[in-house]
Amino acid sequence: MSFDLSLITESIPKMLAGIGITFQLMFLSAVLGLILAVILLLMRISGKWYLSWPAQVHIYIFRGTPILVQIFIIYYGLPQFEFIRDSVFWPILREPFGCAVLALTLNTGAYVSEILRGGVLGVDRGVLEAGSALGLSARQKFIYLTTPIATRLALPAYSNDFISLMKATSLASTITLLDMTGIARTIVAQTFAPYEVFISLAIIYMILTWIIQKSFGRIEKYLSRYVNP
Amino acid sequence: MDAVTGWWDDYFWGSMIVLQVFFFSLLLMVLFGLIGAAAKLSDNRLAQKIAGAYTVIFRGTPEILVILLLYFGSAITLTAIAQMFDPDIKFIDVPPMWAGTIAIALIVGSYATETFRGAFLGVKPGSIEAARALGMSNLQTFIYIRIPEMWRLALPPFGNHMLSLIKDTALISIIGLNETFFVAKQAIGTTGEPFTMYIVVGCIYLAFSTIITLSVMGMEKFGARTGEGAR
Amino acid sequence: MKFPLLKSLAVGAVALFAAGSVSAETLRVGMECTYAPFNYRTADGELAGYDVDVAKGVAEIIGADLEFVCQQWDGMIPALLANKFDLIVASMSITDTRKEKIDFSGPYRDSVGRLIGKADADWKLFDDSGAPIAENFNGLRVGLERASTYENWFNAKLPGAEIVLYDGSEPLYLDLQNGRVDMIMTNPMKAQLRFLSKEAGNKFGFVSPAISEVEFFGIGVGIGLRQGQDELRERLSAAIRDLINNGSLKEYALKIFPFQIHNDEWGKG
Repeated sequence: MSFDLSLITESIPKMLAGIGITFQLMFLSAVLGLILAVILLLMRISGKWYLSWPAQVHIYIFRGTPILVQIFIIYYGLPQFEFIRDSVFWPILREPFGCAVLALTLNTGAYVSEILRGGVLGVDRGVLEAGSALGLSARQKFIYLTTPIATRLALPAYSNDFISLMKATSLASTITLLDMTGIARTIVAQTFAPYEVFISLAIIYMILTWIIQKSFGRIEKYLSRYVNP
Repeated sequence: MDAVTGWWDDYFWGSMIVLQVFFFSLLLMVLFGLIGAAAKLSDNRLAQKIAGAYTVIFRGTPEILVILLLYFGSAITLTAIAQMFDPDIKFIDVPPMWAGTIAIALIVGSYATETFRGAFLGVKPGSIEAARALGMSNLQTFIYIRIPEMWRLALPPFGNHMLSLIKDTALISIIGLNETFFVAKQAIGTTGEPFTMYIVVGCIYLAFSTIITLSVMGMEKFGARTGEGAR
Repeated sequence: MKFPLLKSLAVGAVALFAAGSVSAETLRVGMECTYAPFNYRTADGELAGYDVDVAKGVAEIIGADLEFVCQQWDGMIPALLANKFDLIVASMSITDTRKEKIDFSGPYRDSVGRLIGKADADWKLFDDSGAPIAENFNGLRVGLERASTYENWFNAKLPGAEIVLYDGSEPLYLDLQNGRVDMIMTNPMKAQLRFLSKEAGNKFGFVSPAISEVEFFGIGVGIGLRQGQDELRERLSAAIRDLINNGSLKEYALKIFPFQIHNDEWGKG
């Protein structure tokens, strides 16, 4: 098997040109997804059935179906309807970038809200009781006690989800977006050399994962600086 | 909805393929996870390094890429390996179903390695000491003490791994496996109704993941029947 | 301790998966399976279409059994080279770039491209001699199938146009209707049959003349196979010539179109 090294050195810069789109997808979906996750979380723990139930349905659907199917339904399925194409959302849904961000946001929002919920449930009851004893209201307890502790507890699981989000951006290549994976597939289609191109792409993604893991490790250390081992 | 008539049986067979891939990759995933966890927990530094590389590679690479690499690369690598044993073999090929099954088993197996490792570490040391005191061999300790206790700890994240497995089967459509997602793509070619077809696929996967989630909840109840927790 | 076990497991696994070497009796055919009316799957689960008929006709003449394998278009040649199948019968045009990597049989179908867009668009994209006017393409989005001859033509002739690449051919029509692309370039026969003549396509039409530059579209579509199999290639080409001369190829075409889609000259080997 001939390993064409020159092909690798040629393709890597081309693929890295797509890193901009990968990052944009990743960070935009992460931020929007986090906002959605917090909203879903508050709805879930509100105790009111008309808030909790829709949140649960959303989480159930988006965690129970493959993200590729979600992406395809949003990109190819929605335009089937006249009212979507006439609506005010069409400029966003028309673009593959918009559809990808929407799909990734809805998906990661569902997963992260469950992760946050795990963090909230993990807060020691004693801390909350102490808060009540000090006269804090429910809202104050949530903001000043639950949130910092829950964030620290949820961080490892969140970092996993963040990495999954990064990997999921590669699926945007299936709806014509030229992110790193999309560019790689185009190169493969022209050179007929899948092995070299895909291995280089895999290495790029692994380096990205490593960077993200290290960064989250730093954040975890910082948040745990007052915690006794 | 009438667009779907005539395609129901194709969706059915596609679902059967999804189940087939799921069961085989489940077995392989458990195998890879146990081997990886054992390697990481062992004293052998080489085994630790290899298992470490395994988790880094397969947790850090997008699933779609692993599937494509295994599909295109498998023939080349396997042929090379096979030719070491029998130079007459011209080529070995791995059909899409197996390439996909092994790919997703390797991927989720790398997550399972971490899950099983954490679970093994959570086995009560007291139980191990008791087993030693009773004169049980290493193998007996492993089968009768470690595995049952570890299993209860591993179950909730393991349920997530099972969900990942079944959802990743949709990605194998990229290499031509005729499971439900690919069926939908072909159906759209003739009927032109993408939304309907993809929603059917979504519902099928939703049904599968619901069954898995309910089974895991049932297994958790069964595992917790003595009421003991980790210490 | 572990290694002898692993080694025997590996050999066992290899033996399990081994297809062995391909005998001349069974040939695996790769096709897209989503490219109606040339190769697609009907609701009954059967593969049908012009390419399927040609493959079966050729197999009957050379006395081989067929196994069909579905493959996404942009991976078609890599998959052939990786031994996933033995023949490509998927409306693949015979071009020089492709001939560098694989061999082709003689042609069995015309190969032509045409642009499709809104019927009432008044772009002047081509001058009277049929050559494209590059500036008029600025700002227009064109949908193309990745790894197709249409993509190659566009990249060479109009590199400034905004090209959107798709994994298959069906999404091209979907996104043209949705307005995500202003025009697409694809096979005109397929477009006429599956799109323009239907209700969904009645706002659209051809916005270019038929383009058949041999450099990009080749002399036609042929059966692809790995290099170094000259004997098989000869048998395939001879079978195709037979199909032309005994009228079968025309029959296959008339099942779908009101005209034949090959050149009778090819029958004279």
